[in-house]
Amino acid sequence: MNVLPPAFDIVVLGAGPAGQKAAVQGAKAGKRVLLVERDAAVGGECVHRGTIPSKTLRETAVALSGWKQRVASPVQTDLDAGTKVASLMKRLGDVQRAHERFIAQQVDRNGIESWQGRARFVTPHEIEVLAPDGSKRRAHGDVILIATGSRPRKPAEIPVDHEHVLDSDSVLSMIYLPKSLCVLGSGVIAAEFATIFQALGVRVTMMDKSARPLAFLDPEIAELFVRRFERAGGTFIPGQRPVSVEFDGCDAVVSKLEDGTEVKTEKMLVALGRTASLAGLDVKAAGLRVNERGFLGVDVNCRTEVPHIYAAGDVIGPPSLATSSMEQGRRAIRHALGLPLGAPVETIPIGIYTIPEIASVGLTQAEVEKRHGGAIVGRSRFEELARGQINGETEGLLKLVADPAGERLLGAQIIGEGATELIHLAQMALIGGMSIDTFVDNIFNFPTLAEGYRVAALDIAGQRSRLRAVI
Amino acid sequence: MKTDLSLHDELVRRIDSGALELPILSDTAAKVMTLCSEASCDARRLAELIQRDQALAGHVLRVANSAAYAPSEPIVSLQQAVSRMGLSVMRDISLAIAVKGKVFSVPGFEAELRELWLHSASAGAWAKEIARLRRRNVEGAFLAGLMHDIGKPVVLQAALDVYREAQRPADAKALRTWLDEHHTRVGSALLEHWSMPDWMQAATLWHHDPESAPEESLETAAMVCLADHLSHWSLGDGKSSEDAIRSLGVLAPLSLYADDLDELFGRRDQVSAVSKVLS
Repeated sequence: MNVLPPAFDIVVLGAGPAGQKAAVQGAKAGKRVLLVERDAAVGGECVHRGTIPSKTLRETAVALSGWKQRVASPVQTDLDAGTKVASLMKRLGDVQRAHERFIAQQVDRNGIESWQGRARFVTPHEIEVLAPDGSKRRAHGDVILIATGSRPRKPAEIPVDHEHVLDSDSVLSMIYLPKSLCVLGSGVIAAEFATIFQALGVRVTMMDKSARPLAFLDPEIAELFVRRFERAGGTFIPGQRPVSVEFDGCDAVVSKLEDGTEVKTEKMLVALGRTASLAGLDVKAAGLRVNERGFLGVDVNCRTEVPHIYAAGDVIGPPSLATSSMEQGRRAIRHALGLPLGAPVETIPIGIYTIPEIASVGLTQAEVEKRHGGAIVGRSRFEELARGQINGETEGLLKLVADPAGERLLGAQIIGEGATELIHLAQMALIGGMSIDTFVDNIFNFPTLAEGYRVAALDIAGQRSRLRAVI
Repeated sequence: MKTDLSLHDELVRRIDSGALELPILSDTAAKVMTLCSEASCDARRLAELIQRDQALAGHVLRVANSAAYAPSEPIVSLQQAVSRMGLSVMRDISLAIAVKGKVFSVPGFEAELRELWLHSASAGAWAKEIARLRRRNVEGAFLAGLMHDIGKPVVLQAALDVYREAQRPADAKALRTWLDEHHTRVGSALLEHWSMPDWMQAATLWHHDPESAPEESLETAAMVCLADHLSHWSLGDGKSSEDAIRSLGVLAPLSLYADDLDELFGRRDQVSAVSKVLS
């Protein structure tokens, strides 16, 4: 006699940010939820190899390297390299375990059933879960959410051996700081690790085929990033991708570039993007297809082409931010259960945890010019702010982008310490449809970096007045 | 006449008091001396040679980390030692160890030590493959695997000293029991004495019982436990098997599945070749 597999209202595949929030949303709605995760601990790449580790490394690197103090204080806080690595890794482990515990408790508290294993679709409603001990069990889901995340892209031509040539996962388990590091790539992960290791005293070379790092950013901010990176001792090689990479057998990874140049570094970090983790899931058995970029296609509510199957997080492609993934997971389940949704969130801030931080929300200057036929841009340099001088953070820049009339805020970009926090003021102003004058007419705490908003808004107001005078 | 029980008490007393010296195998020491006298000696060949000898590798790392050479950061791998210190300093260290080190020579135990070293080298190579499969840094994994049984020669030497001083012939069965009983603790203490990283000490201490390891050391201890089993399996010494490995409790914390194990089992020849070179 065939035994029917246990039936769940919702089956969630993957316990990263999207999966957790989806599972909790389902449980809070009174549904029977199963959460399947291949790793021993919940949290996904975000906790174990992504957002949390890199941000923890960043904060620890900033503190240990005395980066802030070097510019602001005569107090010497530099530690030796060995202490740095040991402290970095200990701190990283502590933060990860704290998050794991928090998430595991949340899953338990909400009565979510949790299985460790690798899932594969048997039918559109049934999955089989293979446990590490080889045992298999099946489950039926009325609704299934795929949130299996992503892993580093491994280019066939680069020998990633996790010894000399690392990826963004294995770089987190280094046991000593290399003297030099070549970072291949120029995206967020590449830029973050490049500046973190540079702050720790590693000689960093960053190279990519693109003309500038963080190509999706406002060019002025990206150029400022490169200037600061190079002034701190780093090297950015634009427009180049190595034609060959090999370990010389003794002490260097040799990258030969198209123009014949050789770059020798002790280690290499390959950070050329991430690919969706769908291997072994057999999405075809569920009636799904991956798109040409290897992601699952979904609508605005994260619903796939199979009505009861949803997908969220890195498996559906950009923006691949932990915050957006959480919202996608939550929204998917609310939609599946017919709960009120609210308007889709459009104003998602981007936070890049480089040293210094970079943040952006809304439209860039180029985007506003393209859409509106022009833009008025206000700038505030941190050196003009009392708090910038006090903090020794004098090279930051805050840009506000307004419509051609200089009245409506349409976007903001910031580079400088605290940028990822500061950007939320602009986010709220955008959501609230506030005018540029809101920043001029109101009073900010003094001395703060937030004053930069007022300075930039005054810059726009000044340009607006001159423009009106001309007209 | 002292009984085995009182000899064991004496051994435990000596272990507890610390300061047990790790012996060096004279054969490798001699090869290091020969190599260093050649004009063609290069850092890579020297590192490879040192790597073949667990005791010497340990000594090199200890000396490289000593105040005499004042490294700016802990030297935790031979490759790092070569890279940081250069050939001439490495040559000095190797020669100093070769000349000053205590030569381990115990008639009747050469075969056991050879077997132990082969197993350790093999465990190091397996740990590397496990780490690679799990997308973790392999240098630390190799060292953790290589050093996991480092306590055994130390306990053996200490036990033989106890027997010799009591003017008693060593009892092979008692020796095996004592080695099994004390090698994790002694190995861990030795690594601590050498200022090796916490994770290496923990892996050595908990590799037979990773489930009891503190949370922060569970993953490394589990990895070394699996490497230990894979090494026994690949060497065919009867101490582990494919079935035993497939049912290990450490697979879950390592998030390794049947197809991952298939991939590891498929690397047997490659790992055997590496460990043969090392040994």
